Amino acid sequence: MRPTDLERRALLMGMGAVALAPAASLARSREPSPAAPVPAAPPDDWPGFAPGPGSPFGGGADPFGMPGGGADSSTITIDLPQLRYEGSWNPRPGAMRVLARELRLRTRLEPVLEPGEVAAASSAELFATPFLYVAGQGELPPLGPGGEEALRRFIDLGGLIVFDAADGGTDPGFVRDVKALLGRISPASEVAPVGRDHVLYRSFYLIDSPMGRTRTHDHVLGVQDEGRLRALVMRNDLGGALAETNDGLPAYPCTPGGHVQREWAIRFGVNILLYATCTDYKADRAHVETLLRSRRWR
Amino acid sequence: MNEQMSLAAGHVPDPAVLALLGVAVLLAVAEGMAAFRRPRSAVPRRISAALLGLRLLALAALLSVVFELTLRIEQVSPSGRRLVVLVDHSASMALADGTTPEATPEARIDRLRAAWQASADARVGWRDDGLTVEVRGFDLETHPMTGDRAETLAGEPDGAGSDLARALSELGQPEADRAPLAGVVVLSDGLVAEDDATAAHVDAVGQGLQVPITTLSAGAPFIRDVSVAQIRAGEFAFVENVAEIEATLVAHGLAGTATTVLLRRDGEEVASRRVELGTDGVPTPVRFEVAPDRVGQFVYEVVVPAQPNEATVANNARAFVIKVLRDKVRVLHVAGRPDWDVRALRTLLRRDPNVELLSYYILRGLDDIGREDTTAALSLIPFPTDELFEEELGSFDLVILHNFDAVQHQVEQYLDNIARYVEEGGALVLIGGDLAFTDLGYGLPELANLLPVDSRIRSRLTHEPFRPRVTDAGRRHPITAWLAAAEGGWGQLPALSNYNPLSPNPRSDVIGAASLLVHPEATDARGHPRPILGVSEPGRGRALVLATGSTWQLGFAPDLPLIDGARPYDLLWLGAVRWLLRDDSSGRLTLETDKPRYRVGEAVELSAKTWSASYAAEPGIEVEWALRPLGTGPDGQPPAPLHEGQWTTDGLGRARQVLEFLPVGAYVAQARRELGAPAAGEIGEGSEAEGLDAPEVRRVFIVEPPGRELARIDADPGIARLAALAEATGGEALSAADGDTLPRRIPLAPLRSAREGQRVDARTDVPLWNGWLALLLLVTSFGGEWLLRRRQGEV
Repeated sequence: MRPTDLERRALLMGMGAVALAPAASLARSREPSPAAPVPAAPPDDWPGFAPGPGSPFGGGADPFGMPGGGADSSTITIDLPQLRYEGSWNPRPGAMRVLARELRLRTRLEPVLEPGEVAAASSAELFATPFLYVAGQGELPPLGPGGEEALRRFIDLGGLIVFDAADGGTDPGFVRDVKALLGRISPASEVAPVGRDHVLYRSFYLIDSPMGRTRTHDHVLGVQDEGRLRALVMRNDLGGALAETNDGLPAYPCTPGGHVQREWAIRFGVNILLYATCTDYKADRAHVETLLRSRRWR
Repeated sequence: MNEQMSLAAGHVPDPAVLALLGVAVLLAVAEGMAAFRRPRSAVPRRISAALLGLRLLALAALLSVVFELTLRIEQVSPSGRRLVVLVDHSASMALADGTTPEATPEARIDRLRAAWQASADARVGWRDDGLTVEVRGFDLETHPMTGDRAETLAGEPDGAGSDLARALSELGQPEADRAPLAGVVVLSDGLVAEDDATAAHVDAVGQGLQVPITTLSAGAPFIRDVSVAQIRAGEFAFVENVAEIEATLVAHGLAGTATTVLLRRDGEEVASRRVELGTDGVPTPVRFEVAPDRVGQFVYEVVVPAQPNEATVANNARAFVIKVLRDKVRVLHVAGRPDWDVRALRTLLRRDPNVELLSYYILRGLDDIGREDTTAALSLIPFPTDELFEEELGSFDLVILHNFDAVQHQVEQYLDNIARYVEEGGALVLIGGDLAFTDLGYGLPELANLLPVDSRIRSRLTHEPFRPRVTDAGRRHPITAWLAAAEGGWGQLPALSNYNPLSPNPRSDVIGAASLLVHPEATDARGHPRPILGVSEPGRGRALVLATGSTWQLGFAPDLPLIDGARPYDLLWLGAVRWLLRDDSSGRLTLETDKPRYRVGEAVELSAKTWSASYAAEPGIEVEWALRPLGTGPDGQPPAPLHEGQWTTDGLGRARQVLEFLPVGAYVAQARRELGAPAAGEIGEGSEAEGLDAPEVRRVFIVEPPGRELARIDADPGIARLAALAEATGGEALSAADGDTLPRRIPLAPLRSAREGQRVDARTDVPLWNGWLALLLLVTSFGGEWLLRRRQGEV
């Protein structure tokens, strides 16, 4: 597999270089082409789309797989740590690894190849990265006073916790426990739906709906403080859409949208990390032109 | 001297007794008269007359005893009723004007003096009429003029204003042992009221005296002068925002003259306008638009050059104070890659309501573009390099290039623009990482020469934990001094996790560069410690290089210490931004006055406060202060201090000084403190560097006269004003310019009583009731009548 991937990478890089030579002088991202309108959400019936293995849009191993994912030892990488706790802490193994890969392929973010784990909420490792992924199923056991205090400090200092319910909306137990936890560590803010106009939905991709393995809920829940998300509760099993088998194939079918829905789930995951690193950057856009023209020249 | 006699009663009985007495006296007189008229053959006529005479004499003696009559003999002479002459000693009296355009201008006070001398005979006649002539000078206050000064009206007219209303009201106050006021003479140019309300007040006070006020106006119709009559300017302005200043010029005798009006700031010319002066008395507006280039408090002045043969140049300039504040700080934040360090800085900047943040983060690279699904709807926007780094670069107060690979994004062609932006006063921050300093993008000589590090050499990011060392320069610099003051220094702070190995700029001494933080062990080929945080001050701007992409860890750690209640990350970056933007509060000493302009006579309050390196109040600090007139002396040096001294700040880091009796003018108050010497044995990296914040602050303020004495100097309104006052009070309106002199018969108030106008020189009282004569008269008259009646058989 690796030699094939290398050849494919070389081919695509060459093609990219040729295709982008005229665009290189602009050094800009391209706007969506008006000639090919893209639905904001995938249609329920899109049976013709079946990306094969190795496609960036159908799962599979990193087609450009190289040690370090293209980054050298000097690259500033970011981790996507997952919290380990007593219980079903890892219902979707490898989900963060896949998300890291997709981020490297699609953005300038450089996540590590193998996202780490935080052994316990009370450990100092929690503060190595201001991002924490907490997955679960059925319930979230108590993390203990030390753990909760650490999580409180984590979000007070500006960290973002993403809770991902693997049940996909069939069992409210995990989400119930998450809400209770958030009520204790962030009592001043309530867990509430995150509006469609939140910058989370346009931090990289333009997304209308937070999809995961399921599409049960059309919104995510969040704890906000003056517009800044401190915690996100994903109830559509994002990890389930990301997880892969050892062969690089999707581990769980996405219903009802299949591969297309998986692509949207990946996009939502990308948006989460772009929001985590850039916060409300994409909310600046509406004021750009006004800002540029409001002041006198020096 | 004449002698007057009068009877004075020493006792007046009660009204009831008085009435009874009156009735008794009348009955006695009536009976005596009746007896005298009644024909009696037995009583000769002469006896009847004697009886009546004795009756009347007895009644007179009785009344003199009852009323204790006294004969008063007074020696009187004509009295000293007062005539007060008020002489205007305000500065406008020194102006020279003429009766015709061709006439040689004559100072108004000289014209008055000539009229006064010509009125010498009239003044002698006033005294002969018994008037006491009292001469008083007035400007904002009145002062007596006696002897030669009163005779010649000597004295320099230099008063800051003409408060005629006050001078007149003082005359209306009762004064013991003073002769009553009979009239007032006002010698003035009539410029005694700035507005109609004041003029009405003068008239009201004048009429309240109830004596005629004769006026002799000193002004003449033709004068040659231009004045800055009015200034319209806001008290505040914002850096790099246009502020409008409008001055109104009023000219006389200079119609059509072209001149250049200057706008100065703290004595230096900042703008000029060519104007044509209008006809006499017609206001000519002059507008300036200025965009202050730095914060602070400044004395602005509008100045009209002196015109040939101008009556006075004292009104050719007018000063005012403008405090320049920083508007919202415009910050451009460009990042080559999203990461936690970018996030932390963006969050900090966004939290500040005074920051207008414009961000561009490179979210995907060229290789990412090649792999992307072209149907994906993205929120990405073009990176407008031309607009940012060419057209609008100058509009930013601060430009941050955060782990940014300039070459990759074709920004290296704009780096000379960025260098020029810094030299012309901009602020630039370069933050390291895996993309910055690796493509030689910052190696362009124009930019490399300005940075505190040598950017001509590639510097690949090194990942290793370390705690920077604070240098000698860093201990004193406002960005990092808090680190030196914090207990444990950096030892208590989280370690950083990466750095770009760089070298100090070989031209550090030229650009005022210094390394504030260095790697504790790593050195370059020349043995210099690797700078982690370096600053420089090239030209008028400031630059900062942070050779690490991991300062975000100073704000996110399990046992993160708070220093004076703030996270170390916030202290580092807020201090950096303040220093970069030359924020006044980035200093360790602040100085304020309670207001920017004062009236003469008002007390001026200076207040200072000292701050520690972590911006907490610092007590017990010695501060040297001085007050000087603003500007330069004849030798080009600052003038000598008017006041100076030393404060020691109190427990809250404050000190205060009140200054009184400052004359009119513009002043600068300066204060200075020491920041402490470096510790012994410390290697002074960067200690020779220039550009570290000077611990001296300054505040300017103006002391103004209470009115605008020379703002409008046209005599015509003054002549009309005086004429109106004379007419309203029954006096006479005269004009020295027309050759009038003071009249021999000055209008005076009529006498209110017969005795008004007389002076008693001596008095003798002869009591008629308590001497032996009165007793003899009483006995003789009453007894004689009884005896005579008895002899005639009527008793």
